[in-house]
Amino acid sequence: MPYFPDEVVEHILGFVSSYRDRDAASLVCHAWYRIEGLTRRSVFISNCYAVRPERVHARFPCLRSLTVKGKPRFADFNLVPAGWGASAEPWVDACARACPGLEELRLKRMVVTDGCLNHLAHSFPNLRSLVLVSCEGFSTDGLATIATNCRFLKELDLQGSQVEFRGRHWLSCFPKPSTSLESLNFACLDGAVSANALESLVARSPNLKSLRLNRAVPPAVLAKILTSAPKLVDLGTGLVAQSNNAGALPSLYSAIQQCTSLNSLSGFWDSPRWITPIIHYICKNLTCLNLSYAPMFRTVDLIGTIHQCQNLRHLWVLDHIGDAGLKVVASSCLELQELRIFPANANVLASTGVTEEGLVAVSSGCRKLNSVLYSCSRMTNSALITVAKNCSRITSFRLHICLHGSVDAVTGQPLDEGFGAIVRSCKGLRRLSMSGLLTDSVFLYIGMYAERLETLSVAFAGDSDDGMIYVLNGCKNLRKLEIRNCPFGNSALLAGTHRYEAMRSLWMSSCDITLGGCRSLAAAMPGLNVEVISQADGGANDAKVEKLYVYRTLAGPRDDAPGFVSAL
Amino acid sequence: MATREAGKKMIMLKSPDGMEFEVEEAVAMESQTIRKMIEDDCADTAILIPNINSKILSRVIEYCNKHVPTTGATGAAASDTVAPAALAEDLKIWDAEFIKVNRATRFNLIQAASYLNIKGLLDLTSQTTIDTISDNSLEEIRSFLSTKNDYLPEEEQTIRRENQWAFQ
Repeated sequence: MPYFPDEVVEHILGFVSSYRDRDAASLVCHAWYRIEGLTRRSVFISNCYAVRPERVHARFPCLRSLTVKGKPRFADFNLVPAGWGASAEPWVDACARACPGLEELRLKRMVVTDGCLNHLAHSFPNLRSLVLVSCEGFSTDGLATIATNCRFLKELDLQGSQVEFRGRHWLSCFPKPSTSLESLNFACLDGAVSANALESLVARSPNLKSLRLNRAVPPAVLAKILTSAPKLVDLGTGLVAQSNNAGALPSLYSAIQQCTSLNSLSGFWDSPRWITPIIHYICKNLTCLNLSYAPMFRTVDLIGTIHQCQNLRHLWVLDHIGDAGLKVVASSCLELQELRIFPANANVLASTGVTEEGLVAVSSGCRKLNSVLYSCSRMTNSALITVAKNCSRITSFRLHICLHGSVDAVTGQPLDEGFGAIVRSCKGLRRLSMSGLLTDSVFLYIGMYAERLETLSVAFAGDSDDGMIYVLNGCKNLRKLEIRNCPFGNSALLAGTHRYEAMRSLWMSSCDITLGGCRSLAAAMPGLNVEVISQADGGANDAKVEKLYVYRTLAGPRDDAPGFVSAL
Repeated sequence: MATREAGKKMIMLKSPDGMEFEVEEAVAMESQTIRKMIEDDCADTAILIPNINSKILSRVIEYCNKHVPTTGATGAAASDTVAPAALAEDLKIWDAEFIKVNRATRFNLIQAASYLNIKGLLDLTSQTTIDTISDNSLEEIRSFLSTKNDYLPEEEQTIRRENQWAFQ
């Protein structure tokens, strides 16, 4: 019988990049397990408390790229108190001990201290990528250490992180006379930027393709940067103009026209509305446009701009765009795949907002749409039914209606039938967030039809335990269930007892569960960590639980839980 | 033994079951293993290819014949008239047909490609193996690979659980 020598297995595995396929390969036999473990370069940890870092390194001793996710997603809505956990430290320490060849570290929703960055910088001089998404706990001093020591850094991305500002010097710390930087994102950074340091950095980074600046970068500096970075593909502008300063515009216009590779544009911050022509210069190439930080742009400006952007694949914009603007999107952006509409801040110029009309228009024009995040003031079932019919390719659908418990704006009915149509028609739906008045019926539809659904986020919905039970009885691929402010109680929680091990996590806050219910779950499933937030451990069984976070783990109860987290 | 025919240098390859194949040197040199032998002057006489029977060796030669670069003297006609993209597309279709073989043959081809160090053929045969891993159940994968499951049931369960709980 023919057999594969180790080097052939290794060669075959060299073609396997997806985690799932590699996981399957590891189950073939001992030899494949061993070779797969030795050759896996990229490891993804969906929950930092699901496995101990030492175990990861023991199984994958040659890993080069590590991604770790920390806090539950509802941390984005301030539902996870400060000090909850998800420290990056044990992961960085373990890498420093076991994995000197680490080249990429990607952390999401984790606490990264300057000490941690310091350790990282000194342990991995060959680090190529550091991506900190929605992280916190560090300052510009930590960034300075990274910039100084990691001399081959190609990517530094601080997307959505909270960085404490301790001075402008960090930007001067990147290597001289030239850097390897290809991608730099510090759009989230609050605080001044040294114009000289930034200009010099861009000038000595010949490979820079993606640059996302913060709002502290003034227009004149932007113009200078662009002239020395003609290869840019992705630009997050600084403040493009101030209302009292139009002087820099001509040089900015001429600079941006030189950037012929630009296809992605974001930033603008609080730039005045009359700078939108800058987008016109490059609109033919644009595939990604993010105007969600530009509250000063009005419907009329946005219409004029988007009309020209006929190749857009991704559009993020504030609800200023209005239904009229969305109709222009529908007729101009036929290739659009992703649309995100965010609510404008209440304190800016009068917002027209968007309604069901805009969404229907987009769905009939943009037939390739697969990802929707839509914050609107009103919605109807018939609109959702039309969207479901027009865009059955949708894989991610998140609808946010500003007023809790909004009914169908025409019929006054709950929105059950509309969301029901979405889960029925969009067979590939993987992510769903709902709002508006919803009864248990909508959960019946979800449980029945949403076979591929992986992430479900629900707030202010349902009217009895049945709602959650319908979901737990269906949705065979469900991985994350996030529920807040719903009337689901212990029997709903316990109905999923045997489902939770197949899921990544369950979050429930402001529901009707009690400590007794959570204890029953913990007792029945020792593989789950059942954590209750803001509850004294000795609480009575009938005490109401405000926040519950449940996740499967191979590592047992965590040892860093703060006082307000009780592990049951 | 190297011979000349119509201006092309020829190489004799011998399989362990005694068959001899006369091929152009350029074709034989698609194999990095043979290339090294030729470059090291170890190829004056016929080159014996151990462990690869004549049936498989003939398929390997067929592959190399198709994939030998057509630029230069040997295949000038093709490259002059056909656009490179069309040529690549043609090769892809040919490869897809070529690899429609039974499992034993595919295994033997993988081994041959590995021993002879023919990257394109190894990639092609490996890729089909990967498709099997992606698309089939574990039992089917094992059966396809003719690999015995040497896990204890609880061992397999532990790995399965670790894969799902930690690494997905």
